[in-house]
Amino acid sequence: MLQIHKTTENAKTTLVPEGRLDTLTAPELESAIEASLDGTQELVLDLEKLEYISSAGLRVLLIAQKKMSKQGEMKLIHVSDTIMEIFEVTGFTDILTIQ
Amino acid sequence: MADMQNGNMVTIVLSGRIDSGNAQQSEQEILAQLEGKNAASVVLDAENLKYISSAGLRVILRLKKAYPDLRIINVQSDVYEILEMTGFTEMMTVEKAYRVVSVDGCEVIGEGANGKVYRIDQDNVVKTYKNADALSEIQHEREVARLALVLGVPTAISYDVVRVGDSYGSVFELLNARSFAKILAAEPEKMDFCVEEYTAMLKKIHSITVPDGKLPPFKDKILGAIERIKDTLPDGLGEKLLKMAQDIPDRNTMIHGDCHTKNIVLAGDEVLLIDMDTLSVGHPIFEFVPMYNAYVGYSEYDPDVVLHFQGYNAETSRKFWHDTLAAYLNTKDENVIRAFEEKVRCMAYAYLIDRSIRHAKAGRDDTPEARALWTGRLIELLPRVDSLDFDPESEAPAANELTLEATAENLHEVLDFVDANLEKIDCPMKSQMQMNLAVEEIFINIANYAYAPNKGNATVRIEVGDDPVTVTITFMDRGVPYDPLKRSDPDVTAPADERRIGGLGIFLTKKVMDDVIYEYKDGQNILMLKKAL
Repeated sequence: MLQIHKTTENAKTTLVPEGRLDTLTAPELESAIEASLDGTQELVLDLEKLEYISSAGLRVLLIAQKKMSKQGEMKLIHVSDTIMEIFEVTGFTDILTIQ
Repeated sequence: MADMQNGNMVTIVLSGRIDSGNAQQSEQEILAQLEGKNAASVVLDAENLKYISSAGLRVILRLKKAYPDLRIINVQSDVYEILEMTGFTEMMTVEKAYRVVSVDGCEVIGEGANGKVYRIDQDNVVKTYKNADALSEIQHEREVARLALVLGVPTAISYDVVRVGDSYGSVFELLNARSFAKILAAEPEKMDFCVEEYTAMLKKIHSITVPDGKLPPFKDKILGAIERIKDTLPDGLGEKLLKMAQDIPDRNTMIHGDCHTKNIVLAGDEVLLIDMDTLSVGHPIFEFVPMYNAYVGYSEYDPDVVLHFQGYNAETSRKFWHDTLAAYLNTKDENVIRAFEEKVRCMAYAYLIDRSIRHAKAGRDDTPEARALWTGRLIELLPRVDSLDFDPESEAPAANELTLEATAENLHEVLDFVDANLEKIDCPMKSQMQMNLAVEEIFINIANYAYAPNKGNATVRIEVGDDPVTVTITFMDRGVPYDPLKRSDPDVTAPADERRIGGLGIFLTKKVMDDVIYEYKDGQNILMLKKAL
């Protein structure tokens, strides 16, 4: 349901979650992020292939944001309109760095 | 030589050697024994016969002419070889002498209504029969087991018939075999494995076509029981039950007929079905009738019955039964499972009541209270069951309603159900995703909190109204009363560090749906989500 591709380049880590980020798959992204924290100053989440996000997914993004703000920055790229709308209603557009 | 007269059958005991030296004398002795007995049939007991020559064989041939039903029994292997070589085994009934096996001190590994199963050594078990005249029973069981094996059922076939005390036994090679009953009793964590293997076995045998006339129809047993008890039921319910059972279509596919967890064994990594004497043909629903009784029916009055018989408790038994139905019917919809179970129960109670009445008549132990309980349940059940037939295809869940256990693992089941319904009305992708989101939030809430720390069911219903096209998704559960709308909205303007993790679910649901309505009615939380497309 969810596949996560990861690339690392010096202190920059890019994660590309593909599929659905819901209650059942959110823990997978959470542990992928957890595993990437060490030595990462820039965490990029490329949401181009993300089809769906629920509050469980938002929760993971919030946790990641809190952690990364202590050691660098986190960016979201290629956010689709439908997912952007979820970010908007939940105020996540104000919390997250979306490009 | 000695004779034992038994009705019009005369048994003559042969002993020592019969050769050209004493054949004539032997023949005279035999004839002398038969004189005046008016024997219709003759049996030669060869237990003590050591040798027979062609002169002796001629004596037997002449005897066979006079008594066409002549049988030779208890033949020792040396003599049997001679009879086989000379073609005598094809001319008349020749029964080998049976090896004697003692089961003193052997481990009892199974016990059924007709006898016990002992392990006689590491690789072999012997199944004994209470009935002293068990040979025909054994013969029948061997024949059906052989038939089953040929038709593709993994089973054990007895390779020898032996004497055990005053009766007979059949010997099977069963390496390290453990019944599913023992596995479930000792390792409850293997429940899912057992359910999966058991269901696969049921599906396998139910797909096997049996050549005409090889096995009896199971339907006859059920119809017999219903015929006998129908007049004990009020208001024509007995007639209704009989009619419904008669209307179950005939099938020529296989049924085990007594397929409970003691009759399915794991031998190495192979799953085998044993105890084939009840093998029948018929509609697969009949299979579930004795199964229901083994797992649930007998224990409804006394929950210890299943513990005594299967070795695990009533709770495990009920779960195994339920999960097997879910797997067999390939559904998590509790309504579908219950509807199927009710059909089965109608016949299962009829069987139990009939058995109880027959036991009472025969003066065997019988519990009238249990019979009253089963009768009451059958009377309660019959008015709402209108057919006993089932077809897994057409019994698909009422397309717009799904009832299943509220657990996070079932989330995708619910979302698939929602998507299937939304696709029918060409729902735009964005709305579909938003409704997915709302459904997930609500379902996960119910899964996490409604029944905690226990588990329970949730029902999801989808209705579509016209003008404008409006989708209404209703959730129902019987957990603690909880109105999610009373929860205050999270502060969506707070910076990340001040944001609480979680608490967004209901807020998001309200945002993506047009209307969310809660009510608590008849012991149910009812939450309606509406969205115009």
